[in-house]
Order: sequence, then structure tokens, then C-alpha cells
Amino acid sequence: MTKVLVADDSSTMRTIIRRSLEALGVSDTVDAADGEEAVAKFTPGEFDLVLTDWNMPGKNGLEVIEDIRKVDANVPIVMVTTEGEKSRVMQAIQAGVSDYLVKPFDVDTLKEKLMKHGC
Amino acid sequence: MQVEYINPFLSSLVKTFETMLKCQVNRGQIHLKDGSQLGGPISGVIGMSGQAVGTVVLNLSEEAAKKAAGAMLMMEMDEINDDVLDGVGELTNMVAGAAKTELQQFNLSISLPNVVTGKDHEVRFPSNVSPICVPYETDFGPVSLEVGFVVKNEPVAV
Repeated sequence: MTKVLVADDSSTMRTIIRRSLEALGVSDTVDAADGEEAVAKFTPGEFDLVLTDWNMPGKNGLEVIEDIRKVDANVPIVMVTTEGEKSRVMQAIQAGVSDYLVKPFDVDTLKEKLMKHGC
Repeated sequence: MQVEYINPFLSSLVKTFETMLKCQVNRGQIHLKDGSQLGGPISGVIGMSGQAVGTVVLNLSEEAAKKAAGAMLMMEMDEINDDVLDGVGELTNMVAGAAKTELQQFNLSISLPNVVTGKDHEVRFPSNVSPICVPYETDFGPVSLEVGFVVKNEPVAV
């Protein structure tokens, strides 16, 4: 069964993502409300996909990607964020992100990204 | 505030409401903010910094806030609760964030959103800022966008 880690300080956004995952048959999701919690909850091999926001209190999404990549080079990580500038996208790619989705987004676009990465 | 700096915020609000909420918006008359009192009881507030500094305020009526949050959460919201407040914060985040992407020359960072509630609450801008106010009628009710934006340095080419 596909298991997904969702990191976003907005409970609304976590709900939107979770509902999209459920619509694709993925019900095994773990929420994190900030970057520290996301990194603490991540275990290599446990998750099939990680979705993270960029701007969160404390550890931001870029740092979450960097920390996860230190222990897992392969898990797909999708950044879901308002940070749409090319320079930001490049930073995330250099940190090891697998894909990028800029808010606001159509829920169908989110679902396409999720399906592309195994959901 | 120059018109090319205003337009990203106007288009960002439309894009956010239409994409995330499937909500049509009709823009009213843009004007300079007069006084500090806002129309609705809920405001999302985000600061911006970089080669320009500014504040974005998304103000909603109670009905608009409940319906907007309900549209994102796919449920009916009967009262202003934590979910509604979080939804307003996230909407403000998206409006400010999408505008920021169109203003790359200023190398902006945005704060995490704050949400202020209460009838007749005020959000004051710094004294050197002349914010513009943009009222909207939406499918969910009245909404307004206030933006104060001051360029600190000449933007760098990107």
C-alpha cells in the first residue's frame, strides 16, 4: 500500500492534499505541520512519496528535502509551494526535489503529479 | 504605487479564487486606502521584504470566509472556526506568493500568514506607505485586497 508523508503548516492544504490522495486510492498518509516534524517522522523505506511546502515555521521545505536526501536518495519528493520563481525551482532541484507544484493549483493538476509519482 | 506593481496582486487574487475555489470575482474601483478600518471581520496579513517592502491584506466578509474555506475543504462551514481561519491564511499566502513570482526583480520573501479577526478590526500600514484598496464582489460575498508596496532599491535584472 502506498504511504505518503505530507508536510505543510496549513491544515487546509494538508486536507486538500489528503483528499486528493484518497481520491486516487491512497489512504495511508502521515501529516507533519512543520519541517522538524516532517524530518522526525521520515524513515528511509517507509514512505513511497513525500510532499512538502517550502515556507514553514522553523525548518523550511528546502531543509526538509536536504535532510531527507541525506538518508534517502530515491524517495520521490514533490514541493508544493507558492515559491514559483525560477531561482527557487533551481534551488529545490539542487537540493534533490523530484517535482514541483506551484500554488494556487487545480486539484486535477495535483492528482496528475501524484499519479506520476506512484499514487 | 506604480501600476505595474499593482497588477500582479490583482491577477493573483483572480487566479487564486478561480483556481482553488472555482469562484468568480468582479473587481470594483481601485482606490487609495482611506482610514484603517476594514469592511469584513477577517483579514489575512502577509509581509513582504527584499528590494521592496510591503504588506498584503486579504479581507473577507464572514460569509465569504466560511464559503471559501468550505470550498477548499469540501464541506459546509457553519461558523468561523480554526479551519476557516487557516483557510483564510492559506488564501492570503497564495495571493501574495503568486504576486511575488511576478515581481521577481525585487527578490522578495514573504512572511507566514497572520489572520486577524473581529468586527471593525484595523490593520495599519507603515506611515510611509500609501496602500491601495481593491474591493471585489465574488460568488461567496465581498472581499477586498489591500496592498502597500515601497521599492527600497532599484530592481536588479533577472
